[in-house]
Amino acid sequence: MGEVIVVTSGKGGVGKTTTTANIGTGLALLGHKVVLVDTDIGLRNLDVVMGLENRIVYDIVDVTSGSCRLKQALIKDKRFEDLFLLPAAQTKDKTAVSPQQMVELCQQLKADFDYVIIDCPAGIEQGFKNAIAGAEKAIVVTTPEVAAVRDADRVIGLLEAAELREPKLIINRIRPSMVKKGDMMDIDDMIDILAIGLLGVVPEDEHIVISTNRGEPAVLDKASRAGEAYRNISRRIAGEDVPLMDLEANEGLMGRLRRLMGLAR
Amino acid sequence: MISPQQSGQPSWQIGAPEEFSSSLHLSKSQPDPLRSEGIGRERKEQGPNGVAMDYRTVLIQRTVRSGQSIRYPGNVVIMGDVNPGAEIIAGGNIIVMGNLRGMAHAGASGNQNSVVAAFRLQPTQLRIADHITRAPDGESVKPDQPEIARIQNGVVVIERYQPNSLRFPAF
Repeated sequence: MGEVIVVTSGKGGVGKTTTTANIGTGLALLGHKVVLVDTDIGLRNLDVVMGLENRIVYDIVDVTSGSCRLKQALIKDKRFEDLFLLPAAQTKDKTAVSPQQMVELCQQLKADFDYVIIDCPAGIEQGFKNAIAGAEKAIVVTTPEVAAVRDADRVIGLLEAAELREPKLIINRIRPSMVKKGDMMDIDDMIDILAIGLLGVVPEDEHIVISTNRGEPAVLDKASRAGEAYRNISRRIAGEDVPLMDLEANEGLMGRLRRLMGLAR
Repeated sequence: MISPQQSGQPSWQIGAPEEFSSSLHLSKSQPDPLRSEGIGRERKEQGPNGVAMDYRTVLIQRTVRSGQSIRYPGNVVIMGDVNPGAEIIAGGNIIVMGNLRGMAHAGASGNQNSVVAAFRLQPTQLRIADHITRAPDGESVKPDQPEIARIQNGVVVIERYQPNSLRFPAF
């Protein structure tokens, strides 16, 4: 029996889909059998980020409405044998699926997979309720912005109310240089307010833009700092004890490199 | 010190203590503090201003998060933080054993002697009876000690919480 984990945030644009794609791929990289479920019906993106858009035949609504069998709708990843995607429907809306149907779907999926990772839509309405209905664990993604942290706090409250205890936090798109200058909220400030366990910190990284546009998750890019952070997060989900990446040290090295290049010019 | 923004009659109305309703998201495993009897004397009588007083106290042992609201006709004690976007509305006093960053309304049924005390008092807005105050714009001072807010001479004042010198409002 696998684990059903929902990736949520409240606020849009903080990196839920990117996080889902990277954690899923990261876990597959570790040899686990993973399925990614896109519950953002009407605004499906996960297939694009995974580079699997052109393979979609059936979607989640087809499965829950009984138009096809679950196995038919699952899309196998191009890179990994044991990584699958259940895409969202694009022509329907969030009411096309009910929380009860999601619970049944998650039960079916977790019988076959080690990890069922659910990509939750932004907001706290029907789509959110569907996404968390079948989940056993939750990951809350936030960025170091006051609005994102506020929404994360709201979502943590709703998760607790839905009996999803002890959600874990991922802080995305942090810029160590700005934090150092005091222009960005630091990790401690955020943990102080949200009062939940930290699963990982992902630095701002241009590689993410490139990799999401290409449909190649950043975890597969050895040069990507964000990819490294997601690889660490995946290992932590799998139960390994991985220390937090040293953002500061890297910044120092990068800074030094830049200075050297500046001198060389 | 927070300066009063508005005093006199509030534009919103809060009914008699009995009319407090729950909008608190509570899990099934936790008892609803509004249905529970609370701690302390269940005694209602006329207070100093002719306002009905409720001496019960509820204890909330968790972080009160954005969007959550705690309404109670008596006193409210929070063992945890009150985050921005959360609201605590009490007929009596409010004590937060943690950071108070949300909105707190003490003496919501009209008791001018109610207080709001917190380990770290930095609310988005503070209301006591019919007084509404907020921190001055552009000023974000992080308190480093427990503080208490109450009405003195018609103004909401915040001072260091000194247990020995504190004369709690006479009920």
